[in-house]
Amino acid sequence: MSRLEENGLELDADVLVVGGGPAAAWAAIAATERGASVIVVDKGYVGSSGAYAASTSGHKVLPPIATLRDPLKFERYALGGFLAQHKWWDRLLEITYDRAPRVWEWVGYDIPVYDRTGSYRGLQGSETMRILRKVLLQKGVKILDQSPALELLVDNEGAVAGARGFQRQANAPWTVKAGATILANGGVAWLSKALGCNTNTGDGALMAAEAGGELSGMEFSAHYSPAPIHSSITKSAYYRYASYYDKDGKEIEGLNRNGHRSTSAIAKELLKGPVFVRLNKDTENPDTRRMLRLQQPNFFAAFDKVGIDPFEQNWEITLLLEGTVRGTGGIRIADTECGTTVKGLYAAGDAASRELNCGGFTGGAGPNMTWAIGSANIAGKAAADFSRALGKAARSRPVHAVGGVGLKGTGATWDANAVVKAVQDEVFPYDKNIFRSEKTLLESLAKLEEQWKLVQGAPLQDTAQHLIRSREAAGLLTTARWSYFAGLQRTETRGMHKRLDFPQLDESQRHYLAVGGLDRLWTRAVEVEEEVVKVPEAKKELQLA
Amino acid sequence: MIELLSQSRCIQCDKCASVCPTNVFDAVPGESPVIARQEDCQTCFLCEAYCPADALFVDAHAHEVIGLTEEEVLEKDLFGQYRRNLGWNKGNSPLNIHAELQELRQRVGSPY
Repeated sequence: MSRLEENGLELDADVLVVGGGPAAAWAAIAATERGASVIVVDKGYVGSSGAYAASTSGHKVLPPIATLRDPLKFERYALGGFLAQHKWWDRLLEITYDRAPRVWEWVGYDIPVYDRTGSYRGLQGSETMRILRKVLLQKGVKILDQSPALELLVDNEGAVAGARGFQRQANAPWTVKAGATILANGGVAWLSKALGCNTNTGDGALMAAEAGGELSGMEFSAHYSPAPIHSSITKSAYYRYASYYDKDGKEIEGLNRNGHRSTSAIAKELLKGPVFVRLNKDTENPDTRRMLRLQQPNFFAAFDKVGIDPFEQNWEITLLLEGTVRGTGGIRIADTECGTTVKGLYAAGDAASRELNCGGFTGGAGPNMTWAIGSANIAGKAAADFSRALGKAARSRPVHAVGGVGLKGTGATWDANAVVKAVQDEVFPYDKNIFRSEKTLLESLAKLEEQWKLVQGAPLQDTAQHLIRSREAAGLLTTARWSYFAGLQRTETRGMHKRLDFPQLDESQRHYLAVGGLDRLWTRAVEVEEEVVKVPEAKKELQLA
Repeated sequence: MIELLSQSRCIQCDKCASVCPTNVFDAVPGESPVIARQEDCQTCFLCEAYCPADALFVDAHAHEVIGLTEEEVLEKDLFGQYRRNLGWNKGNSPLNIHAELQELRQRVGSPY
């Protein structure tokens, strides 16, 4: 029996949203506007949880003009292995254009004018999330902070009917029965301390799989970003201004390609020895430096707080794993309304596979925010409608909880932190995760299987921290297994999935890989419902007044 | 990692305990919160950003505790620095930062 069986808070709603970042907030707002009663539950705090609040990333809002939208759509199309779909891109960009400016309206800010590129930048992540939280409360959404969802509830027909979790500060379980449930609780970065990512432990993926859901794109989970070696600051944009040096101060060439840092080139250097950076390309202008500071204050926090001048001094870097937070894998979206393969269960943001607009490669905030805002608005509306169609049955139906590994188990107890460390030992090293081969993947999978056997034992639940960390360890382990298992099946190099033994793209593998299973893993090819789109020729950039 | 909670600056609003995404603090009735799980700090600086009294200091070292003293942080004027940089300090607004940023982008001719 898990501690979730104890007496605790019991609530019901039309729609339950799990998560605390932009996708969760937008999904909740969309469901509310559709007339649903909504509860949002989050592991941390709705407003500070997840990668976006910490990242202070802006995002572009682009009007419906092809010369503006095409560059974003096509920038990473080939890089992503032609798995993105333009019909999804168009729909998501339209929703973002319609919805994102409301953040400004809702707090009485004047919406900024479009600049000379015909777009405008959103507010920073921390500010946007602060506003979205306020809006949620104004719209009557009930929020449970510091209350991670730990397992899904399912009705007798197998439809998802809510979730159960633990209020870690009140030290009691919670149960929410709902007509529809949206998982918007982020991806997985394996507790690497990449910026804002330690709440992203694969919880949603594991919960979905236990209810019969499946994942997709998990082979595209090897996203790393450079960070000053002492820090958590995985802000990658400014490496476009970087020169790289070895320990003797000799410049290393070829680490930036097409104006952006190349993760694999940096990783190869790091496998040889330490790498140092200075931001000394096109940064002499004091206005440029001031602009860079205002744009990404957290990037400079890494330096200001320890007394380094990043423009004038060399500083050592590392690569921190961001997994699917900036990769693309996640819960597989199975219909046009961000529904999953399980009735009553929807997914949005990083928790869902972002292959539909990003294919096998992503990275920066633009495409990811478009996915978060777009998928959340689609899922919120669809979940509200689904719940309404159920009527009163939504809350009165008998339900049962389906959480397993990390919550329940028999036999020897296990140390969650040791399991986390064992998983990290397989997913952090660049020569295992960035540069893959059948040999490395099989070796890692064998080690992960040993851990999988171990976590069938009884999880420690004496404190709220142990209860939650045990379940997180199971999520980290399961997502690592899916990532490497899918990576083993994709016998080609496509997107961010690099196989040393299959270094070329194989046209016959232009499909998504659904992956799932708990004890026994499986994959299945899923067709991309769109032919490869020809990249349009560059047109003269439209100038707006 | 979170290094300091200044007892002299803290106004016991418990905001840090509420907002910390990784639940590092424990609120204590009638007293300042305590840093209960320092090793869980993900170094996102958001507690510092939300603290209305500038009573917290999160160092940029994410993987080790440095053991800074309040005097050292004060001397370098680091209390509240991140909040100021977000435009969240009293009398300021993120809109001011956004406006200055737009102006600088124009002046520099930045495509980003």
